[in-house]
Amino acid sequence: MTKKMDNTTRYERARERYMNGDLDRRSFLGLIGAAGLAYGVSTPFAKYAHAATTDQVRFDGWGGVVSEAFRKHAFDPYTGKTGIKVVDGTFGGGDEYLSRVKASQPGEYNIAHLSGVFDYARYHALGLSSELNEANIPNLEYVIPKLVDVFRGVSGGKLSCVPYDYGTTGLAYNRKYISDDEMQEKGAKILIDEAHKGKIAGWSDWRTRMWYAALQTGQNPNEISDEDAAWDAVRTHRDLSLKYWGSGAELMSLLAEEEIYATEAWSGRIYALQEQGHDIGYMDPPNGFGWQECLFVMKGSPMEACEELLNFMLAPETSIAVAEGQNYPTALDPTKVDLGDKIPTLPAFDPTGTLSGLTFADPDFWNGHEAAWSKTFGRVQKGY
Amino acid sequence: MSVEKREARQPWILLSPALTAVTLLLFVPLLFILVYSFWLRTATGADVAGFYLDNWQEALTDPFYRDILISTLRIAAITTVACAVMGYPSAYFIARSQGNKAVLLLLLMLPFWISYIIRTMSWINILGVSGALNSALMALGIISEPIQMLYNEVTVILGLVHFLLPFMILNIFVSLDGIDTNLENAANSLGATKWQAFLQVTLPLSLPGLAAGGLLCFVLGAGTYITPLVLGGPRDAMFANLVFEAIITQLNWPLGSALSLMLLAVLGALVMIYNRYLGMAQLMKGLG
Amino acid sequence: METRFNMGWTLIRGWAVLVYIFMFLPVAVVVLLSFNASQFGNFPMTGFSFRWFVELAGNEAILRAFRTSIILGLLTALISTTLGVLASLALVRYRVPGANAISTLLIAPILVPEVVLAVALLLFLNFLGVNKSFGLLLAGHVIFTLPFVILVVQARLVSIKRDVEEAAMSLGASPVQTFFQITLPLMMPAVLAGALFAFTISFDDITGTLFWKPGGVETVPTQIFAMLRNSISPEINALGTVMIVMTVGLPLLGAVIARAMARKSGT
Repeated sequence: MTKKMDNTTRYERARERYMNGDLDRRSFLGLIGAAGLAYGVSTPFAKYAHAATTDQVRFDGWGGVVSEAFRKHAFDPYTGKTGIKVVDGTFGGGDEYLSRVKASQPGEYNIAHLSGVFDYARYHALGLSSELNEANIPNLEYVIPKLVDVFRGVSGGKLSCVPYDYGTTGLAYNRKYISDDEMQEKGAKILIDEAHKGKIAGWSDWRTRMWYAALQTGQNPNEISDEDAAWDAVRTHRDLSLKYWGSGAELMSLLAEEEIYATEAWSGRIYALQEQGHDIGYMDPPNGFGWQECLFVMKGSPMEACEELLNFMLAPETSIAVAEGQNYPTALDPTKVDLGDKIPTLPAFDPTGTLSGLTFADPDFWNGHEAAWSKTFGRVQKGY
Repeated sequence: MSVEKREARQPWILLSPALTAVTLLLFVPLLFILVYSFWLRTATGADVAGFYLDNWQEALTDPFYRDILISTLRIAAITTVACAVMGYPSAYFIARSQGNKAVLLLLLMLPFWISYIIRTMSWINILGVSGALNSALMALGIISEPIQMLYNEVTVILGLVHFLLPFMILNIFVSLDGIDTNLENAANSLGATKWQAFLQVTLPLSLPGLAAGGLLCFVLGAGTYITPLVLGGPRDAMFANLVFEAIITQLNWPLGSALSLMLLAVLGALVMIYNRYLGMAQLMKGLG
Repeated sequence: METRFNMGWTLIRGWAVLVYIFMFLPVAVVVLLSFNASQFGNFPMTGFSFRWFVELAGNEAILRAFRTSIILGLLTALISTTLGVLASLALVRYRVPGANAISTLLIAPILVPEVVLAVALLLFLNFLGVNKSFGLLLAGHVIFTLPFVILVVQARLVSIKRDVEEAAMSLGASPVQTFFQITLPLMMPAVLAGALFAFTISFDDITGTLFWKPGGVETVPTQIFAMLRNSISPEINALGTVMIVMTVGLPLLGAVIARAMARKSGT
């Protein structure tokens, strides 16, 4: 309760400052800086310009159903309770967002819906992580412990994020053309199977390509030792592929329109296809690619306001709505929280809350190879 | 004297807003990019400031970049020619039609109301194996199995032509529309056939528009990255994809900066040539 | 007229019709799919429904993005056309030393890959300590629509004969009068074409907008981009259809106005 008072009074104070001409100073700076170019039009919109003051918290995430669910179940109630406005932004991909953050001013971005532990590690390595006061996020205790521990491991025991959802990148196949038996037998090798030449696709992401190349060459994805063999598998896959896809929308349309019969795929997207009646099978091969997403708080953000917002976002009602919207299970522990009817049917869902069946990427290993492998893949992808 | 002085100052007054905007928002920022191109990206992802020639050496000597640059210029050239061939008669039709030209032009821009990504992806609904064209051909009994038409260089060019054709047509139209039709009639009355009159009067006079349209198509075609991503197969990347990957995917801004300056230099050289050519066209008109 | 001309004209008309059909194919698909009952566009279509329009009408986020896109596009067109016309006049109507180089400079914004332009501008603003704002987004859009305006207006100006202007001046008109009464009407088609370019390019831009947009500001393309991961809602198709219907209405209006104007100027 006292926390609420704090934030509310801070908001009042910030608003006063805003009214008292702090805005003019900013506009003035802008005037000098852009030689008056930005001034005339920026003033009416200047309220968007400084999201980092405590009257606002900036959140960036995926658009569409996800952002609608957040708005309805977390942002609006949060604003109603604290008076702090949530400025909602979107991105089309994690890489693009990171470049924007890199080119931003400290404090401009606050909370982001990031994917993967390696993303977390990347932000941490770039000095963008903060330290959460976990006492301010009571809902954190409902989160699956294994998911939290992975993040703690990266940032030395402290957290700069809360886990939010998880899923897998497994294998999707059109059951009209590829039987379940064939999939069981071939597993990841279906993607380098000459018989399906021209009907195969893959994600244009170097991590996924190398992960599956490891599976195809019988290696442990988290300690690939024979790199050359792995790259050869990536090349073989390229030569048999019709297309590299770059988004869930593309993945779904490729499968639904029968352009391709087999690809690796995001679990939630395949569930969405199945929901609409498409006869697409999904399987996680042994050592399939598990991943989790988190809500990351950037360095320089108003911590208490962010922590309270995270608590709203972790509330079961919000978590379930977002999970049902994007078809990825929530990070909340099913043994502690009732997750409703739909979530237990989602692929990759683990009713025990231990996630022992999933293999996650080892951030040290993958980030250590990032610079070299992302570049090599850029070339291999284009036929070199 | 003072009138002449004023005369000499006037163009600069007219030019100053545009030049100021381009200087502040393009050239000064580009200086940052130039500086960046001499920095280095470390394995951890941080950039090291300094004066390193590594990025430039890589960009200029690695055959990978050269090959893709050449294939990008080739695709842009094919696209430009296709746009000219498809666009000129259409522009001529609009300029000489009795109907309402404004409506015809606006109709041409109609596809732009549908977002670029959606427009590009809609070719999948048209040319895909379960797309409109294949189902129509199968319904007519012309083919029994759907044909794989998507995800190759042809579809990339198709997507680019669809994107760029309106620019070509509008530029040619604007030129054609400015030509006095009496000139053609006069040529006719002097005994020239319609075709001769067109070749000797209309076509030369419309060349500035054709050239402007061609330049736009070429430059924009060479700078796209979304079309090859959506409509291309695994090997159909263009140079802007490399820039995008370096900057966004690999977060290697120094290398990305060097690559983009390289593309800028090549395209800039082409524009210089174009400007010289346009200058000549102007001269010819002055004589005629 | 003689038959040879008619045959040539028929060919040209046939060609133009084909080109228009080509341009309209994606539009047709999008309009059709906006009435599709299911989410994916397999042909033949499986059912007819208005549900995407109903959902669109209730989707405040998309509608807000749509309004932002329209406002941004109109402002961009206005500013960019003004700057472009002034610069073109200077370059074509005056003897400017280094005109070729200046022309190249002004066209430069479309020579730089947009990703680079986007990042470069952000780096510069960070250096100055200026925050992102709608004004910055607008300035960015003006910069990369300017070349389109300049190219099209220059090409037109070149073909307008100087004699007409000189005649007006020799009859006692001031340069300003000459501009507004002679030059501007003659280059109006190019000005309008330039404005149309600027508007559509701004309306359709994705890369620059992604980087420059301040928090809470979304345009239609950035909304679509953010939907890509999970799947683009057919509401976007419905929005496209609404826009097409609107713009088919607008040109009809424009036609009436253009006809009235043409009658007045007596051409």
